This record gives sequence, C-alpha cells and structure tokens, in this order.
Amino acid sequence: MNKNLLLIFAALLCLQVQAQEIVLKGKELFGTLEARQIGPALMSGRIIDLENHPTNDRIIYAGTAGGGVWKSTSGGASFTSIFDDHAQSIGVVKLDPNDPDNTIWVGTGEIWTRNSVSIGDGLYKSSDGGANWKKVGFENSERISSIVINPKNSKEIYVGVLGALWSDSEERGVYKTIDGGATWEKILYVNQRTGISDILMDPKDPNTLYASMWEFRRTAWGFNSGGPGSALYKSTDAGKTWKKIHNGFPEGDLGRFAIAVAPSNPNILYAVIESKEDKGLYRSEDAGNNWKLLNGDFGLVVRPFYFSRIVVDPKNPDILIKGGLYGSISRDGGKTFKSMGDMHADIHDVVFDINNSDRMYVGTDGGVYRTWDGGSTLDIVDNLPLSQFYHISVDNEEPYNIYGGLQDNGSWWGPSSSTGGIEARDWNRIGYGDGFRVLKHPTKNIIYSEMQGAQNVWRYDVDKNYTKNIQPLSIKGEADLRFNWNAPMAISDHQPDRFYMGSQFLHVSEDMGTNWKKISPDLTTNDPTKQDKESGGISVDKSGAETHTTIFTIAESPIDQKVIWVGTDDGNVQITKDGGQTWTNTIENIKGLPKNTWVYHIEASAHNKGTAYAVFDGHTTGDMNTYVYKTSDFGATWKSLVTDDIIGFARNIQEDYVNEDLLYLGTEFGLFITIDGGKNWSRFTNNMPAAAVHFIDLQKKTNDLVLGTHGRGIIIIDDISPLRQLSQENLAKDVHFFKAEPSIIKEKSGFGGGSTELQFVGDNPSTNTKIAYYLKKRHTFGKMTLSIQDANGKEIIDLTPGKSKGINIITWNHRKKGPKVAAGKTFTYGGFTAPRVAAGTYKAVLSKGKKKFEHTIVVKNDPDSQITKEERVNHAKITQELFDDMEKLAYLVYQINQNVKKAQDVLEKDPSSQKIANAVIKELNTLKETLVVTSGDNYVAEAEPQLREKLSKLYSKVANQFEKPSASTIENKEVLEKRLNDGEILFQKIKDKQVNKFNKYLEKKEIAPAKALSFEDFIKK
Amino acid sequence: MNTLKSILVALVLAITTSFYGQTADEIINNYFENTGGKANWEKLDGVTMKGVMKMQGMEIPFEQVMMKDGRQATTIELQGNKMVWGAFDGETYWSRNQMTMEPEKTDSETTENMKKQVKDWPSPFLNYKEKGYTVELIGKETMDGTETFKVKITKDPLLINGQSQPNISHYYFDTENFVPIIIEETINEGPMKGKTIKLSISDYQEVEGLYFPFSQSSEFQSMNFKEFDLNPELEKTLFAFPEGK
Repeated sequence: MNKNLLLIFAALLCLQVQAQEIVLKGKELFGTLEARQIGPALMSGRIIDLENHPTNDRIIYAGTAGGGVWKSTSGGASFTSIFDDHAQSIGVVKLDPNDPDNTIWVGTGEIWTRNSVSIGDGLYKSSDGGANWKKVGFENSERISSIVINPKNSKEIYVGVLGALWSDSEERGVYKTIDGGATWEKILYVNQRTGISDILMDPKDPNTLYASMWEFRRTAWGFNSGGPGSALYKSTDAGKTWKKIHNGFPEGDLGRFAIAVAPSNPNILYAVIESKEDKGLYRSEDAGNNWKLLNGDFGLVVRPFYFSRIVVDPKNPDILIKGGLYGSISRDGGKTFKSMGDMHADIHDVVFDINNSDRMYVGTDGGVYRTWDGGSTLDIVDNLPLSQFYHISVDNEEPYNIYGGLQDNGSWWGPSSSTGGIEARDWNRIGYGDGFRVLKHPTKNIIYSEMQGAQNVWRYDVDKNYTKNIQPLSIKGEADLRFNWNAPMAISDHQPDRFYMGSQFLHVSEDMGTNWKKISPDLTTNDPTKQDKESGGISVDKSGAETHTTIFTIAESPIDQKVIWVGTDDGNVQITKDGGQTWTNTIENIKGLPKNTWVYHIEASAHNKGTAYAVFDGHTTGDMNTYVYKTSDFGATWKSLVTDDIIGFARNIQEDYVNEDLLYLGTEFGLFITIDGGKNWSRFTNNMPAAAVHFIDLQKKTNDLVLGTHGRGIIIIDDISPLRQLSQENLAKDVHFFKAEPSIIKEKSGFGGGSTELQFVGDNPSTNTKIAYYLKKRHTFGKMTLSIQDANGKEIIDLTPGKSKGINIITWNHRKKGPKVAAGKTFTYGGFTAPRVAAGTYKAVLSKGKKKFEHTIVVKNDPDSQITKEERVNHAKITQELFDDMEKLAYLVYQINQNVKKAQDVLEKDPSSQKIANAVIKELNTLKETLVVTSGDNYVAEAEPQLREKLSKLYSKVANQFEKPSASTIENKEVLEKRLNDGEILFQKIKDKQVNKFNKYLEKKEIAPAKALSFEDFIKK
Repeated sequence: MNTLKSILVALVLAITTSFYGQTADEIINNYFENTGGKANWEKLDGVTMKGVMKMQGMEIPFEQVMMKDGRQATTIELQGNKMVWGAFDGETYWSRNQMTMEPEKTDSETTENMKKQVKDWPSPFLNYKEKGYTVELIGKETMDGTETFKVKITKDPLLINGQSQPNISHYYFDTENFVPIIIEETINEGPMKGKTIKLSISDYQEVEGLYFPFSQSSEFQSMNFKEFDLNPELEKTLFAFPEGK
C-alpha cells in the first residue's frame, strides 16, 4: 500500500471517529477501576442449600440466598465464591455423583420463599469444578428446587422447578433429560400455581422417584401456602407414570412437604406435612405405601414455607434432623426431637460429613455453622460475607462510617477503613430483629435505626450509650398506622434535628423523634383488599411482613426543604411543594408504568429542585421489568431512562452530586452506570458480583460509591471522580489523565490486625496518591513506563503503569527510591525504607513508544498535623544526611570488598603473594567486621549489630517519622557518623599501607589492581 | 514489527475475526505465528531474563533462567548481595530461607509439582497435545477493557496436601493480535486458597525474531524485564542445590 494512500485512509478513519459518538460499554469504559468488598461477615447471611462431595470430605458447597455459590476445599474451614457472574439467589447445588470433582449443577432462585427473596434465572452447569459456568436453560423458572442425577448415568437428570412466587407460570414441575441437559421433557405438572418443592431418588433404584408438589403464592400484601395442588407423588418407572402416595396422610388441602429417604435403608421415608389437621412428621417403612404420624412438635411444623427440609444420617436411618427455627434432631427414628445447639436461628439445611456423622454443616439465616459433636455445639464459618442489607447510609466522618440494616441480622455500623483492614470487631450493633434503615444525625453523635414494621424505632446517643424508642404512634380518633416491613425514614439536609417517617401518612419530627406531627393525609391507595391481616394460608404466618398500602420512600429536596417526595408501595408518587400542606399525586403522568407498581425509591436531585428520579419495582406482581423515570418539572412529565443495557428490576438510583448525567442504578443483578444521563448504561463488574443492589449512597468528601447489596454485604467503589470526566472529548484522546484533588500524606497511624486467617477482613482503600488515566486502547506491544518526577523533571521513582483500555488507577506511596545499602551477611530491615517526598508539585510522565504524556500531582501535608514547616525542613535534612551516610557506608564496604576479593583471587593463583595479600585481607576484613555483620541470620541467631545495622535502624526511624528528630536522635547520629568517618579514615590508611604495598606487588607481576567504580557510578549501578 | 506492518496485520486480523468463528487451535496457532513462528519457539533452548521485581515497596533486581529441559534459577540482588535465591535442576527444587539466607529443599510435593510443569516452558500451549494437555475455548470476554478469547488449558493434576487437584489456567488472548494479555490461575494453598490470581501481560517486544512480554504484573508484584538472552550458556552449578552450605 502506498504511504500516501495509507495516510488518507487514516485521515478518513479519524473523521469517522470524530463524527461518531464514542460509546464504551462495561469494562471498556471502567478498565481496571475496581470495587472493594468489605463484608461484613460476622453475621453472614441466609444459606439455602448445602452439598458435600460424596468421596472427598474436604469439599463442601454452599448455595446462598443472595450471595451465589461458595466452595470450601478445606473441610468447611473457609469458603470461596465461585458464582460471581450469575444470579446470586440459589435454590439447589448438586454434584454429579459420577464426576463429583468436576461436574456441578446449580439451580438458581431461592426456595425458602420469604417476602424478601430474590429471583433466579435458570439452571447452570460447570464441568471444571466451578471455574466456568454455562447456562443450560430454564430461564423463566425463577426458582429451581431440586436436581437429581442417576448415579449410574450422568445423562439422566431430573430437575424440579418450584417456579414463580408472585404469578402463575407454566414453567413448573418435574423435567427430565436423558441427554445430559440438551433436551428436557416435562414429566409431571399439576397447574400454574403448583411447583415442585422436592424430588428424591431411591438411592438403590434410580427408577424410583418421589416428588412433592406445593401450591403457593405470594403477593405484596399476603402469602398463601397450600391448596388442592399440594401432594406427594411416586414413580417406579423413571418418571413415566406417577401416583399420589397419601395412605395415612390427613385429608383436605395440604401445604408444603418436607421429604427424605434414609440413605442406608430406602424403604424408610420421612415426610413433614403442612395441614390444618394432623400436621407433623410422618414415617413410612414400606417406601411410601403407608404413613404413620409420629410427632407434631412446634420445631417440626413451624413455618413450612421457610423450613421444609429433613435430612437423615447417611449411616443410621433413625437419626434425622428437621430444619426449623432452631433445628430439631431425633435419634429414635422421629418419635422425639430436641433442639440443636446454639447458633443463628432459622435452620434451612444440614449435611452430615461423609465419614463421621458427628460432624455436620448447618445452613442458617446467619451463615454456615459447623459441629463436631453431633449438633450440640456449633461454630460459625467466619469468612462468608453474605450479609443482606436492605438499606445503607454513610456519614461524613474521616474515615466515614457505613450504616445499614440486614435481613434477620439487626442493624450495624462500621468504618470504611480501619488499621489492619476492616475486621469483624470494627462493626457495632445498632438494633435487633430484622434491620432496615439506619441514619446518622448530620451533626450530633446520634444514630436512628429500626426493626421490622417500625415495631421499634431507636434513637441511639452514641456518646451517652443511651437508647430511646421514638416510633410514631397512632393517636385518638385517627386510623391505625400502617408501617411497611421496611419502614421509610429520612433526615433533612436543611434542619439537622428534623426526622421523617412514613406510615400511610408522612410524619415529621423537629426534635429528633421525640414529638411527631402528621404532615399529609393517607398518601397510599388505602385499598382494603391489600390489607390482609390473616396471611399464610394453611399455616397462619403473621410476621407483619405483608403490611401493604404504606409509604416506602421519602425524599426531601436538598435544594428546597418545602419540596418533599413520597413514594408508596402501592404505586403513588406524591409531591408537596409547601412542606406538606398540599400534596399532588403525579403517578398518572408516568407513561408505560403498570398501575400500582411499587415505588421503591425516589431520589430528589441535588442539581435542580424540580428534578427527581423514581425507581419502580413490580416483581411482587410477577413483573420483572426495569422502571426508572426522571422528571424535571416536579412530576408534571416523566421520562423513562431504561435501555436494553439494564438487566433486572431496579430498586435504587443515585444521582452524582457533580455531573448530572452520571447516574448509578442498583438492580436485582448488580450495578449499572450511565455517563450520558441514561442514554446508555454499563454494567459494573470489576470485583462486583451480580448481587442485588438494594441501596446506593455516594460519600461527598471521598466520592466513594457505597452499595448495600442483599447478599454480598457492602461493596465500595473508591473515588468515582474519574467517571465525572468521561466526556466525549476525553474519550477521544489516546491518553487522558483525570484531574484529581491534591493528595495528602497521611500522618495518622496505629495498630490493627489480629483476625485469624479464617476470618473475613475487608480491604482498606489506598491512602496513596492515585494517578488515574484513561487509555483509548490497551497497551500490549512496545514499552510503556510511568515515571514520577519532580518539578524539574528529575526522576524520583518509576511505577508500573496500568495498561488497560478505559480507566487505569495507579498508586504512589509518596516515597522516593531507597538508599543503596552496604552488603553484609544478612540484610538489614531498615535499609528497605525509602524516604518520603516533601509536599509540593510533582509530575507523572507516561511514556508510550515515543510519545510522552504528563500529569501534575500536588502532594500536601496532612492538614491535621501539628508539625511546623521549620520542623519538616529539619526532618527532611536529617533524613537526607542519614540517607547519604547509608550510601557512603555502602560505598566504603564495596571498596573493601573489591580489594579483598582481588587479594583473595591473587592469593589463590600465586602462593608467593601470601604475606602481602593476607595483610590486605586481614586488615580490611577486620575493618569490615566493624561496619557490617558478617555472620548470623535474620532471626534469633542474629550477629551483634555493627555500624550498618545501627545506622539503618536510625535512618529508618527518622525517615518514617514526620516530626523533627529529637536531640538524642541527633546525638546518636553523631556517634554513628563518627564511626563512619573513622572507618573511612582507617580504610584510607590501609589503602595507603597494605593495599598500596599489594598494588606495587601486582604492578611487578603485571597484574591489574582491584577495580572500583566511582561513588557516582556505584550509586547508579 | 514496524508500525505499518502491525496496522496491516491488525486490519487483516480484524476482518478475519469478524467473518470466522475461531477455534482454540486457531487462536493458539495465530499466537505462535504472530510471535515468531512455532518452529522458532520449538528451537528455543532457554532464556535468561533480566529485570526488576517490585513488591511491597521494594525493588529487587533479578535474573531468571528458564531452560527447555525444565531447569530454572532465579538470582536476586538484595542489599548488595547477589545470590541464587532458588533453583530447580530437574530433580531438586530449592530456595533460600528468609531467616538464614541458606538454601533449603522444598517439600517433596512441591518438587513433584514442579517436575510436572517442566514441559510448560516456553509455553504450555506449544504442542500441548503431546504434553497431554487439553484446551478449550470458553468464549469471548472483555478483559483489561479489550475483547479477548478466553481459553482454558487443563494441565496435569497437581498434588496438594496429599490430594490430587485439577490444574487449570485461563489465558485471555487479545482478539486483535492473538497474544495473551491476562492469565488467571487459582491459588491452591494458604489463606488465599481458592482465590484467583490475575497476571497482566504486556509490553511485548521482539528479541531475535520472537516476541516476549517485557512486563508481567499481578496485584502482589510486578516484573519488568530489561533484557532477554536467548539460548544462554550456563554453568550447571547455577541450578544445583549448594550441598554442604
């Protein structure tokens, strides 16, 4: 190709690029900007299904409610997440009994159908022990309860689909494949309301199957368990025909079954039946032909929708465990039970160790527990960060704290950063029961928190350690208050003591909740058909979780305190512009939104008082679409911001405080970000699992995006300010350095750490200078360097640059290069210390091929520091002097070594040189022994410290401190410098005498004398 | 590769990839073709790589030797002391104790695992079938902001704490030029057990007709190479366990 032609071609390409908008998606945009997962794991989260390896007792899997699948290869000591990229709500995990090392099947969608459950999106398979996953279908199943594999034929698999919780569905029932999952046939189906809660295979006869059917339905305001569809079926011909096996069961409508076959005796079956009459544990000793009621204890029959799991000891058919509030264990074949030992309540699954039935693993609402003594004492697995946050908020402390409430695990607050990492002990409890919203008073050391349905709303004075219950109560002559399970509260940006809560009314307090005033009429539809007081179906289940027609979100405008938005769970978007005197329902102005769709969040804009964002969630009607709207005129008109890029129904949106076009959206399957006001969305996946994001907050000082996930704890993206600068102009550049605030050399430090290696510890943010830049293309060929230079262009240090397309973030610890250290027998720890730079202006220079790109870095001293400028100058001077001493000593020892080596070499070849060479060796080595250690090790056989050790210790101490060195430090320095000086003098003397003599001898023999580099060359080497 | 040539290659490849789906073998062949040719890689007997390792704020100059027969040695310079920090002579794998700085043999399991990896050099993909390895194209994935082919290679199982464990690595080959830019491996032991370590590979440069990545970094350390000496002639003693010391 002719060169000119090529140029024209290139120019054309450029034109095209300029004309076209640059749209980067996902990792192309975010590059290596990474999220940081900080847990916590101390309260862990709900476990749905446990599965152990049939022959290797080190391997255990845990399928979780909202945190994916975790694998242990250490016998349950610790677990690792292996399912980050897919739906995090798990129904069942199953290993192929013929290939348990490699083949894992995962059915997604939680099966313990409480009000807050998430959804699944199908069946997955891994053929390499969890390293890679493929979806195998059942996209619309929502919940898969069971996977059964023929132990003689891996291609014959049965899948039980429980199916949709909030709507009718035909995708329910038993499905069978005989080709390993390529094709599926539905072989047992009842109706659109009834799904499979369990399939069992006779352990000795793969043609014998049991399947329990469960009729169930949830709405936003009620739950029904049971109906004519619920039944237990058996097939003896590999699923061709099925018959009900109810001989001995109660008559009438039944609810959910728990069923189990004793692995050691397949004729023994257990079933726990939900029924109005004669509910309880039934046992059959003839493979299901006849059943006998044994026990109706509370522990067995409580909340069947939540606890229908029985597990039988693999070796003993009479030892069985029933999931429940505490878990119940029987050792007499089900006649009597006792509760399991103390652990988190709500036991969902148990597995027995394959070799020793005294060892078990238990899945609860608060993580995985282990027992070594048959379930009597239990110990939690400390590294499963599965916490299910409903809500989070942040304060303005340094470091800032994060507050939030969790499913069945109370409310907590903890720091975003802590010395040694964010440990379990850094978290503080701030409420019991189920926790939801937790807010910090803007100016006082007071925290508001609540439990389910606002049964308690606490105002906690942290300094006084004093708690007051402040929930609004109904007053004489007025309606009872209806609070949502997750009742909304809000604080004001304008009046620090103002505190809002929503029932069906908006309540406001101007004195932190002591006194309340109603400032609205009933803002909901107040539809009596959605106010079910007898929820549950066959078993009444009144937890308050189904209270509906309530306010769910409250947003006071940060610009105008009279503008308040309220969203209700039954689909009203109400606004007042006069502080509550008049209210307007704007819901009719929203196009394309199904009526009565739950208003999950309203975000009042920080840029414009007429602007707000509303996020709607229809999943409790079976509507899994995404609804995000924006208004710029107080709700008169609304525009949808939804594109096909978004996956999952949304629950929360956060507007950026600086760039109005930058929005962060939390959906059931992760975090989505737009940089162009919603025209395009990108999923953020860098260390961010596909977890449900229930709430997002943006810390104003640090620009950290803080996510409350419902199953993977708190996840933070530190400093999102580069995202604000992703303009078309910058995206078009080959390299663009993002502007950054001056970086601070932090002086605070302390002591932390102390967690064991099995305890989860959240990473801290980097305190170093961040150098953030955008690359249009990944750097793969040729050299690329990143040099930190002073204002004059002198290199201070070179860093390893990031090469990713999109955003790269490199950190610099404000340090220069360390000194050249004298060579000794061992190393000296102090010698690894590099001095810090002074506050000032520096440059980062990125070289890529022949091109150079520069960026200015401003480094400042800690504003909290008490150290004066003069002290800093003195500190820097003394540090430099000690640094120079280190290098002088290094050079001295180098010269000694060169001469000794020469003498030794000559001596080896020329015995006649013995006297004269030995004199050199002896004198120099004697000197050297006073300068550096020449024996011992780096531990307890350490040699007596010599000059190098003493000097490097002093140098390191001074270089690492900030303040002016003390008088004793200076004195110590003088002593050591004198020794160094004496050493140099003595070396010169030896050089003049013994070495000189030796060199003359060499001259005679025509041998070149010892070579030594100049000091400058030695330092550069 | 001069710029013009690389632009042309990139264009041709871009067209090729958009029309044809790739198989793992095609990707691997393209990789060897684009980095010097399979025959030349086969001819390579060994290499000495000189560079600087950065970890925990320290810069450590090092020389790493890798030989076709599996021998390898790492020499480092720490506070003026240059020493072989660890080596494998084909039979014995050893490294220095950090406290005594004296050489110690690694445990037998680690040594056995090392022996299994002998054939991985210069690339586990080179004649991988003969090595008994299997490869699989998992699909396309965006890594480092760049479209890549994710290729899984399954090597001989490793023995970890008495149990045989599968040995899987994932290589992400840039779809534009077919060189790996990311390698992912699972940590088998210790508190990080089960976690994936990601190695970012870049700065490919030509050395006597072959392309080597002059930069490799992970979250724990980075290695920047200054020099690759091909087919070096070395003393046997470099690799051997220093007996009696």
